[in-house]
Parts: sequence; structure tokens; C-alpha cells
Amino acid sequence: MTADTSLDEPAEATREASRADRPTNILIVGVGGQGVIMISKVLALLSQMHGAEVKQSEVHGMAKRGGVVFSHVRYGKKVWSPTIAKGEADVLIALEWAEGLRWLDFLRPGTGVFVSDTRKIVPPFACRNRKFGADRAYAKETPAEIVSRVGNGYVLDATGAAEDLGNTRAANTVLLGALSTTLEFPAEEWENVIDQFVPKGTQEVNREAFRYGRDWVEKARRDPAFGLSDANAYEAPVLLPGEVDVELEINETWCKGCDICVKLCPERCLALSEKHKATLKNPAACTGCRVCEWLCPDFAIRVKRTAAAEAAE
Amino acid sequence: MNEVATVAGAETGPFEIRDYLRLELMPHFMCPGCGHGIALRALLWAVHELGIEKDKLAVVSGIGCSGRVGAYIDANTFHTTHGRPLAFATGLKLARPDLTVVVISGDGDSLAIGGNHLIHACRRNLDMTLLMLNNEVYGMTGGQVSPTTSEHRLTTTTPTGNVEPVFDACRLAAASGASFVGREVTLQAPALKNLVKKAIAHNGFSFVEVMSDCTEIYGRKNDLGESPEMILSQKADMRPEAFGNVADQPFRPHRLATGVFAELDRPEYGAVYRAQPAFRKG
Ligand code: SF4
Ligand code: SF4
Repeated sequence: MTADTSLDEPAEATREASRADRPTNILIVGVGGQGVIMISKVLALLSQMHGAEVKQSEVHGMAKRGGVVFSHVRYGKKVWSPTIAKGEADVLIALEWAEGLRWLDFLRPGTGVFVSDTRKIVPPFACRNRKFGADRAYAKETPAEIVSRVGNGYVLDATGAAEDLGNTRAANTVLLGALSTTLEFPAEEWENVIDQFVPKGTQEVNREAFRYGRDWVEKARRDPAFGLSDANAYEAPVLLPGEVDVELEINETWCKGCDICVKLCPERCLALSEKHKATLKNPAACTGCRVCEWLCPDFAIRVKRTAAAEAAE
Repeated sequence: MNEVATVAGAETGPFEIRDYLRLELMPHFMCPGCGHGIALRALLWAVHELGIEKDKLAVVSGIGCSGRVGAYIDANTFHTTHGRPLAFATGLKLARPDLTVVVISGDGDSLAIGGNHLIHACRRNLDMTLLMLNNEVYGMTGGQVSPTTSEHRLTTTTPTGNVEPVFDACRLAAASGASFVGREVTLQAPALKNLVKKAIAHNGFSFVEVMSDCTEIYGRKNDLGESPEMILSQKADMRPEAFGNVADQPFRPHRLATGVFAELDRPEYGAVYRAQPAFRKG
């Protein structure tokens, strides 16, 4: 018996040779509310129907906050560990582009299949560019680059497709359609299982979404140019490099010295003067986030671009 | 049809609050750290983003600190009697349906003195927006207990602590028929702005409860910390542990839900009223 504990690594050659004996590893990643768990359930039920043993583990605590969600699904004759080790995922499904990148090194080098949506979900504050008015920081890698790096990459605008079908929420079913082409289960079974997990009344649109994903991959296999069409259409985020180009205008007549801006500035760059008026004691730390402007009850702070920055435009 | 006078598709540009204030009255009368200022900013910000012209905006307010807030807005403002801003606003909106009517009122103004007006305004569903600034106390008249004062809090009329349960204004408004109901804390200023935007754009009676804070009269009496501490503990689950001088207790001991609680498509009273045969004959 080949014990798969993910701890005692079989040699590269034996690992490839025994694909039928070892469990299939599928890693699903995304952010809260996208349907990572739904995809896991579909996979788990399908493989159970085929008599496989399934283990699944997930982190979904951040879901409500739009945070990271991932789920490991492993199925096969015998599954020991519930998690997938780095470099061992046969398929990585990403419901959000940057999340896909984050997990890329879990993919089995050479043979791993990468299925991803091109949609960006940019966290509001976490990766904000520290420049006033600038785009927020986001993964710079373009889908085309990544497709060229992985064994097999299917990068499609699943959300856009689902939108066209009339229900954005069916984006994960589009990806399931794409995934279905790389696994051994018959298409009808996929559709029947998906029916059980999608909300009532959306079965039809989800069936269409599933077929869209399936057809998409088949077309992409025949025509590599088509396979890259969504990847090439992806608009990479514009990133401006670093310095802060904002200044604070503090209206001393209006300021009542309430201390709100001082204590709520995330960078702690303000202080109260002897006269009990807000002053910017550390201009270099200010990121132009505007929290002070929003929260000053007396409208005494204005965050504005420096004259130099205005002139540079 | 939504009667907000928006410039269709117009990009309204960056928000500059000075464009919307009566500058000659500034700085405003509110105490240092009073959350009403943040609420006022959120309202004007929403008005700006909706592209509502100042001449088409009417702000009606009642009595109390909240009642004074409207006076700083460079638009049509109407400072009315205690508890009755909704009644004045109803008349105004029926006579001038082209105006965007926003009522600013406090917890005492809306829920105690004006409680009756509130439930019937909700029931009628006339297209206007009520911003109820809830700071749990009658600040202007010296700090008396209000229908939203938290349990055990000291006020000038509850010298041994409040024993009355707290009114959940959003549930009251929703049960009375308001077709849009939402709540937000002033700490989340951009979210508050977005909520007010939705409320104003909604066709029907919109009730927005703004969790504000009264630092001077209420916070100080109850040892709830200074303004930053109070603004950070507007909800019990928002305790600021980062500051050394945090008060022993959060400002609000309740875990408050925030967001939109009701968004219904009910017949708007003004339209129904004008559709009557008698009205049409004129
Ligand atoms: S928040 Fe405004 S009023 Fe309060 S200290 Fe800062 S600038 Fe002054
Ligand atoms: S904009 Fe204001 S709150 Fe933000 S970092 Fe600068 S001083 Fe601090």
C-alpha cells in the first residue's frame, strides 16, 4: 500500500507513476462569500459517489470580512492527511486572482492545473498604496505570465461570463465547468450534484454556467489564442511608486482640540500643541488616508495634494 | 420615480465641505469631539455625491443639539419645534415634491417628544430621510435621561443610574412601516455616508439611526473616557484596547448591528396622495 502521509515524500518518479493510487489533491481558494465551500462540497460528494474516500479541510473564519478562504479537498482509495502539502496540488482553483497567486506554489510542478477567475477583489485598506489618490496595491503579475509558468493554466473571466448569463453568483459554477474537464467524473454527474448545492431557482443558470466553463476549456485546448484571450484582456493594476504627495491643512480656528484625529490616525502622525490645537508632528509618516479628515467633527482638517504634486500632473 | 434632483450621470468631483457650509457661522457650536459633526459631514458628503443642488435640498430639524446641526448647512434649512420636524417636513414635501427633504433629529426629539410623529411618518412612507442622531441623552437641556440611554447610566434625572430598558429605534421604525431602515456609527464615516446616500436615493420614508456620542455631558458624567475613546466604543464589540486611558466600560454596552435592515418597495405617500381624484380635479 502506498501510504500517503505527505510526510514521507515518494521520489518524484514514483509519485508520477502512481497517480492512480495516490489521492487527487484539489485546492480551492478565494475570498469570503465567493463559494469556495460550495465547490468543495460538490467535489466531495462527486468523489464519494465514485466510492472514493474524501478528506476536506478549510479555513473560512474570515469569510464575513471578505477575507481569505481556502479549502483542501483530497480524494482517492485511501486518504490520510486532510491537507495538501506544498507542491502537491493537482488542481488549484482560484475564485480571485491574487488569491490564486498566493497559493501558486502549492501546485504540483510541471503537471498541476491552474484554474482561475481573472476578477480582482481588492481589499479596502490592507494593501492600500501609500500615495494619495493612487490605486490600491494589488498583485502585479498578469494572467498571461502565470499561464506560461504553470503546467496547465485556464484563466478565464468567470465572473464576467456569469454576469452575462444573468447571475454573477454563478461564477464558481463556471470554474467548476472548467475544472470538470480535468477530472474523471462524467458531465451529467457534475450537473446533478451542482443542482443540489445551488439555491433553488438558479439551477438553470448554473447548468448554463457549468457548460460555459466546460466549453471554454475545450475551445482553449483546441485554440491556444482563445485560451489566452481573457488573460490578455486583463487590466493590470497601475502602481505608482512610493512617496507621499499630500499635505494637511489644519484650521486652528475651527479645531477644538478633541484629540480624535491624534488618537485615530493610523500612523499616529498628529499631536496636540500647547494651545490644544492639532498639528502634524510627523509629516513623513502621513499616508494621506484621510481618516483624520473624515473623523474631525469640526471639519478642521483637510488632506490635499501638495502644490508640487498638482504641478507635476 | 425617485425625486432626488441628481444631475444624471454627472461626476460630482472631490468633496469640499466648505462649499456646503454657512462659513460665517463656523466654527459650529458643538462641544469638542461631539459626533454630530461627523454625522453632518457624512450627510453633506452624501448630498455632494448624489449631485443634489443646494437649492433643491431642504433640511428640517427639531430641538436639541441635533436640531442645531441643520443650521450650518448652506441650503434651505428649517429649525422647527421640539419633536415636530417630521410634521413640518411632511407638509413641506407634500407642497414641494421637487425638494429633497432631510430631517435631522435626536433620540429624544424623535423617540420621546416626537415619538408619535415618528411612527406615523414611517407608516405614511412619504419620500424623505430622517437622520436620527442617537447620543443617548438630552445634551442641550442639561443631560436628562432619554429613551435610548443605556442601562445603569448616570444622567441628571437618573442620579442612581438608569433602570429603563433601551429603545431599539430601528426595530420601531421598521415595524411602523419605514421602507428604508439603517444604522451606522460615526466612526465608520465613509460607510455612514454610503448609508445616507442610499437612504436619500430611496423612494419612500428612510430612517437612519446614526450612533453619535455626547462627550461633555454624558461621557464625562459616566466616566466613559474622552472623545476618541467614546467614538471607538460606540459598539460594545468595538472596544479600543490600544489606549492606556480607556474607560472601565465601553460607551455602549450593547452589541449593535449596523447596516441596512429594511429596503422595501412600498407605495410612496406623496404619489398616492396626488393620485386621488379630488387632487387631480384641483
Ligand atoms: S479632530 Fe478636529 S477638532 Fe479634534 S483635535 Fe483633531 S483637528 Fe482638532
Ligand atoms: S491623512 Fe490624517 S489620519 Fe491619515 S495618516 Fe495622514 S494625518 Fe494620519
